[in-house]
Amino acid sequence: MSLLNTIIPSLSRADTNGEADHRPVRRPRFEIEETDTAYGVTVLLPGVSKDGLEITDEGGELRVAGKRTTKLPEGLTALHRESSDSDFELVLAHDDAVDAGKIQAELKDGVLHLSLAKAESAKPRKISVS
Amino acid sequence: MRYIQYTPNTRGVVPGTFFGARYPRADIENQIDWLFGTALTGFAGSARGGQFPVDLYEDKDNTYVRAELPGVSREAIGVEIVDGSLSIQASRKEKSGEGESTVSFNRLVSIPDEVQADKVSATYENGILTVTLPRKEEAKPTKVTVSVN
Repeated sequence: MSLLNTIIPSLSRADTNGEADHRPVRRPRFEIEETDTAYGVTVLLPGVSKDGLEITDEGGELRVAGKRTTKLPEGLTALHRESSDSDFELVLAHDDAVDAGKIQAELKDGVLHLSLAKAESAKPRKISVS
Repeated sequence: MRYIQYTPNTRGVVPGTFFGARYPRADIENQIDWLFGTALTGFAGSARGGQFPVDLYEDKDNTYVRAELPGVSREAIGVEIVDGSLSIQASRKEKSGEGESTVSFNRLVSIPDEVQADKVSATYENGILTVTLPRKEEAKPTKVTVSVN
């Protein structure tokens, strides 16, 4: 494992996400689409409800944090596990090419759709030659 | 728009040539993480069809099968018990460019023999399917009274 840690820095790096919350986070699956006027981001967040989702946009970075809520009766014994209980975190840098006031988000069945309207300065412009 | 994994120390990964001399160490690390991150997520991920993660739990009355199936519509989920196994099928519609494609998932999970197949129930919430499999009650001793003439 130590060799793998040296090859892949993230495996050995300490969690640096704030002081209060030291729970491990993982990156969700996501996809970004681009049109002339907007970016569309699809993030897979299985097990995350509306209450456990936090979306912030600050300093040119969009951060999506999803806490997994497990709704299983207590006193269960796990016989076999393949999923992880760690929370999700995704940080996307957009360098203010996105209009932060026009960000729309929709969460349905564990899939988050984000619609990020491009800022006027980032839209393609046609320059007419005089 | 770019993905960055670590908020501190970086202002995002500068797109461009890999391992260019002008990048500080942190950026090279990010590039490597990005490379391997893609591969590692693909290994455990469930986005591209095929298999999906399944958990198996039990308590004294039931066995529970929990499957991560984000973005699947309820109508597209099929749960069946076939020959002592639980079969889970699902499909998700994905927009790809202008068209729409369907990604199918299916998985067969072995379940204990003592399950009451007719009382199996399933719920789907926040992209997670939970199948509850009630266990058969132990064969109760029956009392038979025989009258002697």
